[in-house]
Amino acid sequence: MTNDQLITKLKAIIAPYVQDEAAFATLNETTDFVKDLKINSANLVDIILDIEDEFDIRLENEDMEKMLDVKAAIDIINTKLAS
Amino acid sequence: MIGNDIVDLKEAKLKSNWQRPRFLEKLFTQKEQQFIYNSDNAFLMVWRLWSIKEAAYKLYTQLNPSRFYNPKQFECDMNSLDYIVRYKDFQCFVKTKISTQYILSEARLVSCEMISDCIEIPNNFSKIQSSIMTSYVLNAISNAFSITKEQLKIVKSEFGIPQIYQNSKKINISISISHHGNYGAYAICDLVSSSAVERSLI
Repeated sequence: MTNDQLITKLKAIIAPYVQDEAAFATLNETTDFVKDLKINSANLVDIILDIEDEFDIRLENEDMEKMLDVKAAIDIINTKLAS
Repeated sequence: MIGNDIVDLKEAKLKSNWQRPRFLEKLFTQKEQQFIYNSDNAFLMVWRLWSIKEAAYKLYTQLNPSRFYNPKQFECDMNSLDYIVRYKDFQCFVKTKISTQYILSEARLVSCEMISDCIEIPNNFSKIQSSIMTSYVLNAISNAFSITKEQLKIVKSEFGIPQIYQNSKKINISISISHHGNYGAYAICDLVSSSAVERSLI
């Protein structure tokens, strides 16, 4: 899967939780879930669970810890898919 | 130092589903899951524990500037009065207030007085909510510390931690702001002396 394909899937997962649509429209690797998209921290766990379901992977505590922006999410998903 | 967190119960019901598979395991330790399963109202216990962990995390990151997402490692334990939250060698005390509309948690390192309040705010754009809360916080500081509001400013650090500036100088007041759904909350504490502080919500 290319990063572009991955970002497309990720955007669909994130969309329901976004509170800043302008930042979402310009989403890129540096976009921060909380600072930029204003996603409530209570919903970060939903994004993590949605990612697990979509890619059929399981994220550990150490993975979750870094899950704050698009780049970290892509890195973690790629690592899990490769293992 | 202080940390706070508010959960709007209506918003939590609408925007989150604590019963979805693996949700509890991701956020809560075995012991906390037992608190939840043994409680009369599991929904309330889930969001109570969540807000306690968030308040503790916000206090921790004031002391150790950083950002991460690891709610499970902030373990809650109950003594007779407060919740005690532990993360590595960090420990703090958290009090919660539960109304029919919201749960408010406030974390302290030691018993200290604070100014805090919870306000009903419009549930719309996060940016508007933030500016409303900023105005409330600056008013409260202005009143409590006799500083004109125009001299005060909230500046967020690179880790998103709010700090108070008077003119262009950082001052020794710790603040924490939280908003969720229709509610916003703030907590303010004077790091030099807590004597200027008159009231505490909890």
